[in-house]
Amino acid sequence: MATAGAAARERAPRPARALETAAQAAAWFVAPFAALVLAWMVVLQVFDVPLRVFPGPGHVLEAFRQQSASGALWTHVWQSLRRVLVGSTLAILTSVPLGVAISTNRAVATFFAPILRFFSVLAGIAWIPLATLWFGYGFGAITFIIFNAVFFIVVYNTMLGVSRIPLALRYAARSLGAGPGQILTEVLLPGALPNIVTGIRTGMGFAWRGLIAAEIIATNAGLGYMLFLARDFYRTEVIVLGMILIGAIWVALDRLILAPLERRTVERWGLTRRVA
Amino acid sequence: MSTAAGVPVAEIPLWGRLARRVVTSSAWRTLGPFIPIVALWAAVVRLEIFPRAFFPGPVDVLRAFGDLTYKGILPQYLQDSVVRLAAGAAAGVLVGVPFGLLIGLHAKSYRFFWPLVIFFQAIGDIAWLPILLIWFGFTLRTMTFVIVYTVVFPVVFNTALGVRTIPVEMVRAAQSLGAPRWRILGDVFVPGALPNIVTGLRNGLGYGWRALIAAEIIVGTSGIGFMMFDARRSGSVVEMLLGMIVLGILWYVVDGGLLAPLERATIQRWGMVTDG
Repeated sequence: MATAGAAARERAPRPARALETAAQAAAWFVAPFAALVLAWMVVLQVFDVPLRVFPGPGHVLEAFRQQSASGALWTHVWQSLRRVLVGSTLAILTSVPLGVAISTNRAVATFFAPILRFFSVLAGIAWIPLATLWFGYGFGAITFIIFNAVFFIVVYNTMLGVSRIPLALRYAARSLGAGPGQILTEVLLPGALPNIVTGIRTGMGFAWRGLIAAEIIATNAGLGYMLFLARDFYRTEVIVLGMILIGAIWVALDRLILAPLERRTVERWGLTRRVA
Repeated sequence: MSTAAGVPVAEIPLWGRLARRVVTSSAWRTLGPFIPIVALWAAVVRLEIFPRAFFPGPVDVLRAFGDLTYKGILPQYLQDSVVRLAAGAAAGVLVGVPFGLLIGLHAKSYRFFWPLVIFFQAIGDIAWLPILLIWFGFTLRTMTFVIVYTVVFPVVFNTALGVRTIPVEMVRAAQSLGAPRWRILGDVFVPGALPNIVTGLRNGLGYGWRALIAAEIIVGTSGIGFMMFDARRSGSVVEMLLGMIVLGILWYVVDGGLLAPLERATIQRWGMVTDG
């Protein structure tokens, strides 16, 4: 009992210290943005920039209040997110099996590699004119563009991942009596997983940018559309609000979901690589 | 001199040796896979599954290529796009590398600027277009800004990363050998970060190139992206496909012929990573 109590007393400062470091980290995270907003206000004051050229933080906050009260903002955000989610989910579901299937045979893999590279280079934005012609302006065209941006990069990376698995591992599994199905689930998929996740992260990065471009050109809803509509009326405060949201949503998506996912897969299944 | 199969070269007939030379050449490996794809494309067009106006064949595209080259439109637009890309790359290196070195070398500025770099990188290129259009109108300056902006951040990001991953022993070794500060910068930090700088440049140009297409589509004064969207307006699918193919080939050449070998060479020469 006594020792347990002593241990508890000794342990006591630890949560407090963790809280302190967390607070410090938060401060270091917030400080640059606070400084940025301050600089923003000072520059606007000193140079007397008109609203038509660049809005102040107050204007942007006001625009945020207005747009979110009317619900328009959330419609745009939801539309953009929905397109990215639908397009990338479809792409991931089809590209991973295809990538694994292609890479199980060396000849097939070398045959497809240049083609996949060519198309992953074309991915996204270059499809906009054709996609709008084929699918019309709207959900179909934009989902197609996002699908394209994610699909080819993930197939290519899946292939790369499978080809990097040392043959010895495959032979080892086989000599231990694993069937093709087991080799697939126990060796090929886990071994390629770090590359697959890296591919998904890169592809979605391109998809998010492509989405904004596509929305500027080809729809009547979404964050990109909101930006471009605001430009027609010289509403710079709405434009800046949209830019901040686009940045913030991507940082959240990337840092909170994709980057931890990548780090975890690499740590769990990666052979040599480390993620920065 | 014998082949892998152990047969002396002289015993293989001439056509066999020629065929082998062709099949193992890198040009064949890159271009060969596209032959069946193009054949398939031609077959689908011949079967008229889709209306010809929406889905023209390879011969139509080739004819459009000859036509537009003869008129001088395609070379001019291609030159515009490539010059913009090169300007973006140059500016990205000139601005991005020094800033990245500063952030990487100075711990306090690293902590301060890092969140900002991530945030501004996330406000992708295209999101800047609406406000740039208000500032500069539909001009070349808008496009230059977009591409430079897009290239700079990945370069900054990766340069800082490269500097920070140099083992501290290297710096101490240089110091204990009596190197002054500027020599440590020139002999340790810059070469040590070089592989990362090149990777950053490659990523940045990948993004920048896509941004350029989008900017050309939206701003629309000249360039391959403009050609494609102009074709969209007049409903000329042939020119759209031609634009996509030219873009794909252009990037394949720039990336596969220039950036990837550069990256490989720097990693081999200066990199400390054994498995990328």
